[in-house]
Amino acid sequence: MRFLVQPNPAVLDRARPPVRVFLAFAVLLLVGWIASRAAHGALTPEGLTRILEPSPGERFGPVALWEEVHQGAFLYGFLLLTVGSLLVVCPVAPRLRTALLATATAAALVDLLAPFLPVAWPGIPGWAPLRIGAFGVAMAALLAAVALAWATFGREPRRTDG
Amino acid sequence: MVDPRMSRFSLPVAAFATMVALVMATGAVLFARKIGFDGGHVRAFYFGSEAGFAPPRSLAGLLEVAVPHLLAVPLLILVTLHLVAFALGVRRRPFSLLAGITWTCAAAGIGAGFAIRFAWPWLAPLKVAAFVGFQATMLAWLLLLVAAIVPHPGREPRPGFTGTADAPPRAVR
Repeated sequence: MRFLVQPNPAVLDRARPPVRVFLAFAVLLLVGWIASRAAHGALTPEGLTRILEPSPGERFGPVALWEEVHQGAFLYGFLLLTVGSLLVVCPVAPRLRTALLATATAAALVDLLAPFLPVAWPGIPGWAPLRIGAFGVAMAALLAAVALAWATFGREPRRTDG
Repeated sequence: MVDPRMSRFSLPVAAFATMVALVMATGAVLFARKIGFDGGHVRAFYFGSEAGFAPPRSLAGLLEVAVPHLLAVPLLILVTLHLVAFALGVRRRPFSLLAGITWTCAAAGIGAGFAIRFAWPWLAPLKVAAFVGFQATMLAWLLLLVAAIVPHPGREPRPGFTGTADAPPRAVR
């Protein structure tokens, strides 16, 4: 892992091919994730309500909700760590890097936690559009981060950004 | 202050730690809801129960859960331990001891389901102990990781680090 985040230009040059292949797979993962949610009807408020809203008397929400958050947090965690760490050694403005990662992380948390709103407050409106919007923002920010890493990784020596 | 060699990685590491905390928390809830924390519930989960109309777990059903976990759990432990070593330069003996407990609990937790179902049902408490041990040690690793990226006034980089301000450090040998 240290090999991939070395700021040495020669090392980054050697690391570029595997990093680019990894980033291509990351794009496939993100596109596949969007397609999977669409196929399950989770990109419409009605579909999302049908899948994840708790039934009357289901105090802690459906088990499917906890399983989805369990798997989703794992995926988000590894994507944010790997893409974020690669961006650190890319010649990218620190503000842009921080904005992309912070947006992706915040949107991912809203995406994962929004379905718990009707568990805590049964009948609360608006959680489904909130989750769909947050998922869209998280995917857009992660795709942008991947594209940026693809375009700039190893291209020139990393600037000192503190 | 945060170690300058670590500060550039603070955001991705913080995002990772947050998501791992969510994975662990939801894992605990799923364990409590699906399996339970006492031997009787664990045995009922694996052998089925007439009262709950639940059939015994099949080998295919156990593998369906175990196989993804055999990739995800070691990957999660490897990366978390790597980051802690990378960030804190913790001493080798306590690091190895805690890491050994984590790996043992992870292996026992995944393997215990098969052992309970097909070898010895009375291993049910082992499943619970392994799960609790895994959760507890992962919580400790996450706290160490957070300690590495939270600014501490006056904290200097620990002696023994390799690398420079521009290069990531390695664990102390």
